[in-house]
This record gives sequence, structure tokens and C-alpha cells, in this order.
Amino acid sequence: MIDSAPAEVDYSPTGAEAGNGDAILEIEHLVKDYPSGLRALDDVSLHVGGGEMVVVLGANGSGKSTLLRCIVRLIEPSSGAVRFGGQDLAQLSGARLREARRSIAMIFQSANLVKRRSALSNVATGSLGRHHDLATAFGRLPREEMLFAGELLQRLGLLHLANKRADTLSGGEAQRVAIARGLAQRPRVLLADEPVASLDPEAAEEVLVLLKRLAVHDHLAVVCVLHQPELALRHAHRLVGLRHGRMMFDVPNSSVEPGEIAALYRDSPA
Amino acid sequence: MSAHASVDAQVLLPRPGFATVLWRLVLTIVGAALLGQSLVVAKARPQDLVTGVTGMADILRRSMPPDVQIVPRALGAALETVDIALLGTCAAVILAIPLSILAAENVTPSRPVYLGARAVIAVARAVPDLIWALLFVTAVGLGPFPGVLALAVHSIGMLGRLFAETIEDIDMGPVQALSITGANPLQIVSQAIFPGLLPSLIGISLYRLDENVRSSLVLGFVGAGGIGFLILTSINLFQYRQVSTLLILMFVLVTVVERLAAHIRTRIR
Repeated sequence: MIDSAPAEVDYSPTGAEAGNGDAILEIEHLVKDYPSGLRALDDVSLHVGGGEMVVVLGANGSGKSTLLRCIVRLIEPSSGAVRFGGQDLAQLSGARLREARRSIAMIFQSANLVKRRSALSNVATGSLGRHHDLATAFGRLPREEMLFAGELLQRLGLLHLANKRADTLSGGEAQRVAIARGLAQRPRVLLADEPVASLDPEAAEEVLVLLKRLAVHDHLAVVCVLHQPELALRHAHRLVGLRHGRMMFDVPNSSVEPGEIAALYRDSPA
Repeated sequence: MSAHASVDAQVLLPRPGFATVLWRLVLTIVGAALLGQSLVVAKARPQDLVTGVTGMADILRRSMPPDVQIVPRALGAALETVDIALLGTCAAVILAIPLSILAAENVTPSRPVYLGARAVIAVARAVPDLIWALLFVTAVGLGPFPGVLALAVHSIGMLGRLFAETIEDIDMGPVQALSITGANPLQIVSQAIFPGLLPSLIGISLYRLDENVRSSLVLGFVGAGGIGFLILTSINLFQYRQVSTLLILMFVLVTVVERLAAHIRTRIR
């Protein structure tokens, strides 16, 4: 859908409520045991639909980052299924895994841009999964992808940064450029692992507003891990609480109880 | 005194124990013995410096004034010396880049490949370029080309190791970010690893070029051409006035290359 999205799409905030339609990403009974014996994920099931921004909350070590990493197989899940586009990601490997990953973009706590390249080139590298030719293997970027990258930067209001080197961007700018790079993948799912943890409050706000707009306007399934409940309450359509690897709640933003959130952070052994 | 009342001097600055004192004594004796035997083995006789003064003065007198007639021939040889270093360094850089990727622990495709690449680097490094030159002169004959080969092989080892260490220090964030966009390993190397590495690679390579110009002068002594070969010939013919000209030229050459390389290194970031 991003493929064909016109450049003039307006990203003004809307009150559009989401969660309509079928789930794009279906996580079923996911379990992750670490060799140390720690059960980081304990029977977690989660369905995320297009147009929906789901925020995962939890204390340190609750398994929220492990959940995202298991989805894209940066970490191997021990059992369970991750259904996406008619296949089980947990069963794929090699080229088929690479192909499936193309439709899932991931944003990290740090922007992870290549520091000595321009913002524009960094965005265009998000499309490399679609181009496996000799030129891109030797460091070239396809011209049409550079143009598409410029289009993405324009849509995110970042076109003025296009030719700035990544190491000169502020934290908030870099993170939004990283989101643009994710969009260059033409994803259907956007995973964000504490994307605002190293940003000041203003930049954090901008990034979360952007993620929500992308969910609504581009009909992406957005799963965002956050540390700050107040940010989650302001931006999420749906809230999921993890504690010691178990899912404590999965509720629409409007019906979450403050006590439920507080319970996630109460420190007591499992 | 009262200012230190809260600090127990005995605890903060304890007297060295018996074992420590003994250990220091042993180390001192071993160090002295080591140095002593090297003086004997190397047949160091400081008195030779005194008796040799007349010989030195004689050579210096015979070297003056420098013979400028040899300059045109020397300039050609100097170019050859620089070209041997330039070609050897370029070949080494081109081959060391892929080798260093295989030999960097964080990006190597597999453990056996890593060990293999490290072994190649170790052998190329361990054998000095002068020995490589002797081998290549025997194999392909006298002239500048065996010099190029010798510098290339030795430099692959030196550069391969430095490049690999630089790669091991890179930020793996962009690498991870690109790998989950579905980029393949070659793309990750060329698009995420290489751009961040470029200034370091250029800096290291220029330093190597500087070293190789010096080495290439010495390689001339074993028949690999260039200004070194001219110096050898002149010494063998007792043409000390030519030798002094050549030495001055060599000094200028090495200094210019070194300053130039240093200047370029400071300009790239």
C-alpha cells in the first residue's frame, strides 16, 4: 500500500479509531526458554490488525523485547507460531525467511543509521531486500529507490535532511529517518523496540505520533514496546501488559485499569 | 596530621610483603642477565667506535662533494622505488579487504573460514618482506616486479590484520538493522560496514604506503631494482660521491612521501 501511496498524503492527527479488519500478525502460544533456564516468554498470544497500534508494556526483563525479537527471529522461539501472510515465520529459514522479513520493519532504541552516509541513502538501504543484483552488492543504491526514499522523507516532513550525513542528525531526527528506512521496505508490520528510550520528551512525542499515523493512514500493524505507561496511554489503540514473560492483559486503551498497569512494575518474584 | 586522622596509613599504603620484595629482586637479576648475554652474543665492543673514527672520516671525505652526474639516472630509479611501493600497496589493499572481512570475528561467515583467513594473514605477516623479495627474485628473476610481489604479500598480512581489527570495532547496529530488512551478506558489507570503515581504511593504507616506500629502498639491495639497487652498485664500485648523492635523494624522497601521507591522513575524517 505504501508502494502506491501518493506523495501528498496528509499526516495530520486524526481521531480515527483503528483495529478494524482481520489480524495481519498472529502470535500463537509463543514460548521462549533461555539456556539459563529462564522462561522469557510464557505462552504469549497476540493478534494485531492493520491500522492498529498496539503498545506492549512491562518492567525490565518482562520479555517485551524478546517478544519482538522472536517475531523477526533475531531470537529463536522455543515453541509456538508467528503467522504472517499465510506462513508460520517460526518455521521459515534462509531465503524464505529473508523474503518474509521484508514485509516486517523493525525500529530499535538507537536509530542504527550508517553514520557516514546521507539520510537519503540510509532510507534507501531499507529497500535492499528487494534488490539482489551485483550493483547493490558493491555499494550502489538503485536510482528509483533513492527517489522513493526522497518521497518517504517528504511524507514524514524530513526532506530538508535528505542530504545531511546521518552523524549530524539529532536523536529525534535520526529515529524518524530510521522509521523512513523501515517504510522503504514497504512493510505491512512495523515493530518498534523502545523507539523513544533515548529521546527527549518532545522528540519522543513526535516519534509516537508518527508511528500512530502510519498505523492509521498506511494500515500498518504497529507493535511498539514502551517503557513509559503515560506515553502508551496517550498514543496506543490497545495495551498489552507483560510480566515475567506472561501476558497480564490485552485491552483497548479506553478500558485499561490504572491498577493493572501499576501491577506490571511492582517488584516481586514470579 | 589531624587532616589525615580518618585514614589508616597502614591499610592505605601497606609495606610490600616478603614475596613482593623477593619477586622484584628476581626480576632485576633476570633483566640484568638478559641484557648481559645480549652484549656478549652481539660482540658489542664500544672501543671499535673510537678506533673506527678514522675510517668513518675517510669515507666521509671520499663522499664529498656529492656527484650530481648520477642525478638523472637516480631520478628514474627513485620513480621505480615509489612505483614498486605504490603497486605493491594497491594490490595488497585490494586483496586485504575481502580477506579482513573473513578474518573479523563479528562478520566472518564461519569459524573454519575465520581460522583459515587468520592463518593466511599470520604467514604473510610473519615472513619479512626482504625474505619474500629473495624468494620472488629467485622465482621470477631480478627487477622491480619481484619487489612489488614481496611488498604486496607482506602488506596483505599487515593490512589484513589491521583491517580486521577495525572491522571488529564497528557498531553492529546498522548491520543488524540491514540484515532484518532482508539484505544479503554482500549488501550488508558494502552498504553498512564499508561506508563507516572508509576513513580508517584509507588512513591505514596510506601509512602502509609510507612504510612500503622505505621497504622498497631496502629491497633494491637484494636485486629488486630502484634506488636501493643503485646505492648497492655504487658502494660495490667504491663510488662514495655517488652514494652521498643517492642518500640525500633517498632522504628527500622518504620525507616527502611521509609528510604527504600524514597530510592526507589528517584531512580525511
